[in-house]
Amino acid sequence: MKLSDIMGFANLAIYAEVAMVLFLLVFVAIAVRLWLPGSQQDLQEAARLPLDDDPTPAATPRGSTHGR
Amino acid sequence: MSSAVLPMEGAAASPRLESFSYDDVIVRKFLWATFIWGLVGMLVGLIVALQLANPIFNTSLEWLSFGRLRPLHTNAVIFAFAGNAFFCGAYYSTQRLLKARMFSDALSKFHFWGWQAIIVSAAITLPLGFTQAKEYAELEWPIDIAIAVVWVAFAINFVGTMIKRRERHLYVALWFYIASIVTVAILHIFNNLSMPAGLFKSYSIYAGVQDAFMQWWYGHNAVAFFLTTPFLGLMYYFMPKAAEGPVFSYKLSILHFWSLVFLYIWAGPHHLHYTALPEWASTVGMLFSVMLWAPSWGGMINGLLTLRGAWHKVSEDPILKFFVLAVTAYGMSTFEGPLLSIKSVNALAHYTDWIIAHVHTGALGWNGFLTFGMVYWLLPRLFQTPVYSKKLMELHFWIASFGILLYVVAIYSAGVTQGLMWRAFDTTGRLAYPDFVETVVRLLPMYWLRVAGGSLYIVGMLLFGWNIFMTWKRRPAKYEVPVITAPALAKKYVPAPAHGAPVPAGLWARFAAAGWHRTWERMPITFTVLTTVAVVVASLFEIIPTFLIKSNVPTIATVKPYTPLELAGRDIYIAEGCFNCHSQMIRPFRHETERFGEYSKPGESVYEHPFLWGSRRIGPDLARIGGKYPHLWHVRHFNEPTSMTARSIMPAYPHFLTKTLDFEQIQSRVDAMAMIGVPYGDAVRGQAPAMARAQAEEIAAEIEKQGGPAGLADKQITAMVAYMQRLGMDLRAQPTTVGVAK
Repeated sequence: MKLSDIMGFANLAIYAEVAMVLFLLVFVAIAVRLWLPGSQQDLQEAARLPLDDDPTPAATPRGSTHGR
Repeated sequence: MSSAVLPMEGAAASPRLESFSYDDVIVRKFLWATFIWGLVGMLVGLIVALQLANPIFNTSLEWLSFGRLRPLHTNAVIFAFAGNAFFCGAYYSTQRLLKARMFSDALSKFHFWGWQAIIVSAAITLPLGFTQAKEYAELEWPIDIAIAVVWVAFAINFVGTMIKRRERHLYVALWFYIASIVTVAILHIFNNLSMPAGLFKSYSIYAGVQDAFMQWWYGHNAVAFFLTTPFLGLMYYFMPKAAEGPVFSYKLSILHFWSLVFLYIWAGPHHLHYTALPEWASTVGMLFSVMLWAPSWGGMINGLLTLRGAWHKVSEDPILKFFVLAVTAYGMSTFEGPLLSIKSVNALAHYTDWIIAHVHTGALGWNGFLTFGMVYWLLPRLFQTPVYSKKLMELHFWIASFGILLYVVAIYSAGVTQGLMWRAFDTTGRLAYPDFVETVVRLLPMYWLRVAGGSLYIVGMLLFGWNIFMTWKRRPAKYEVPVITAPALAKKYVPAPAHGAPVPAGLWARFAAAGWHRTWERMPITFTVLTTVAVVVASLFEIIPTFLIKSNVPTIATVKPYTPLELAGRDIYIAEGCFNCHSQMIRPFRHETERFGEYSKPGESVYEHPFLWGSRRIGPDLARIGGKYPHLWHVRHFNEPTSMTARSIMPAYPHFLTKTLDFEQIQSRVDAMAMIGVPYGDAVRGQAPAMARAQAEEIAAEIEKQGGPAGLADKQITAMVAYMQRLGMDLRAQPTTVGVAK
């Protein structure tokens, strides 16, 4: 008996659908959460991270922007 | 300025200030490697483009024929050029986003030198004909192990830096890096599982349909997680930098990330439409590819709108120009990708140059231009002197843009032309172009245009190199290394009272406002694990059924393993890279069955380790070539293709007639195949060389009888003829000859 026989008998097809639904739920949760109010400020701060990190001399003319 | 102090977030809660500096030495190293390998990879691309335009460029050196150089071109531009560009940008941005020096300088160095050594070994072994015959995974097993080791070193270095970081939040660029690092590791390991048959030879442990499925799960996601997500990470860091403003929508970037992670991994089977792949798998691949339209365009729009309020700068700043074109090219190629994954479109485009045009929009436009923009932005910061010439940057931009246009338009038309010619019937219901070579020579003018377009892009590359070199020459005697100070992260994170708001009560309110996604982002290890789970689970649910459910590959009683001599011929076919131009997979269309014969069945490939279905038909399909021509035709054709097909662009292989076949080596090949489950019967018991010799003598005698040269019995040509004459014959065999290998 080969592995493929065992797997064939195990009827695993339903697991793929369960996984798909779980994935979808996680994804929808992320999307819903994003569009709810309440995280604006956090996200705006996060978005500025790349602009707040560069103290080197040749940095952008505006310099590092620490303003919030 | 000898030091700079970064004011830290929430300064009041500072536990302890720490001083550190960033490692830019490693970034400079990767920058040089990016340019050097980019130039090498593109020059090899120019050579293979010339070889297609005129076979004379194959020269008489067997190491430099198209079949051997084409993988070198693809590997060099993907893993050497784009790879080093990603590492360059990632080492620069990761340290700054995490406010920490890389975890270990030694690991950084090991990563750099290890990666360069791998590239060099690829540049040596591929022309020598050491190949696994899987696209973008051609490198043989010892190099594959080296890749895994170097990649793990990079991963440890990256995760180590995240652990000692001083910035709580992980910026979205870092998520893209994390996803890329873990997924590439998984893809690489599972696609390259193989049975060694000597130091530079191995057979994929998967066969036929399963190998094809595995390969394109890898192949597609190599595009996704080596050329797309890492560069999106770079985009989300360097575009705001160059535009001097934050990304248009951080929300959109989060959504962009998760959609790509959830969707991309399923899309691979669209590379196998209408092949001997189960229908359901192909449909899943198509649906998920079409769904990718949304996040890809969301990402593109997010990138372009980052320039809001900065559009006036685009006309003056070549860096922004490069970024705008890069992001536009991302949009174009991710629009086209889902389009090509739709079965009816794919029926026309598959095996044609359309796919080549598609990938070059992505590679030259998206990866190339993003790299150029990023490097130009980095130059003054890394070499601490203004860029040598802005004019040269402008010139580079325009020359390279024109080069892309010329290349892509020419090759699109070549693809559509050939696809339409293949399927054209005349009024009597016969193929309008029954001679395959007619559909090839029609493309030659377009191939010359491609040479022109590619050359322009390379001229741009030389300007790029000149600018880098001259800027480097003007560097200060000693680089300044600014000392940064930032507080260490507190061991336990106390969420700041949400900007004055009270902590919400109730489950839903907490879900809505407590920022659980933000909490994930603060836990890099958990985040990495979750991303990995998403990728692995999706992969497993897509791949396992083809591997383990028997009904997916119906067996055919007459399909038998190759004889030892045929296997040796197949190994030469692989080493010469014949699969780069010849498919062995006839699709179930009338124009294909008219031209090539009965369509291919999954059960025919059960002993194909690795599968050789091919992805591009520069020459005709060979799945049913067996018995079509006499032995002598093949001998003459290999010796000088134009002697049999006047306008053929195939390289000549006269060395098949002069080089001796290593019969003793065949035993180890047969043994390796037997170990992965190919029923070789007596051949494994030390008999393979004798069996091969006997068959070779028969073939040599037949060649002589047909009026060909004598004394070929111990030459490679007998193995090649044996293999060619076997292809497609199993379906015609009577189901009585059980145990052919005996």
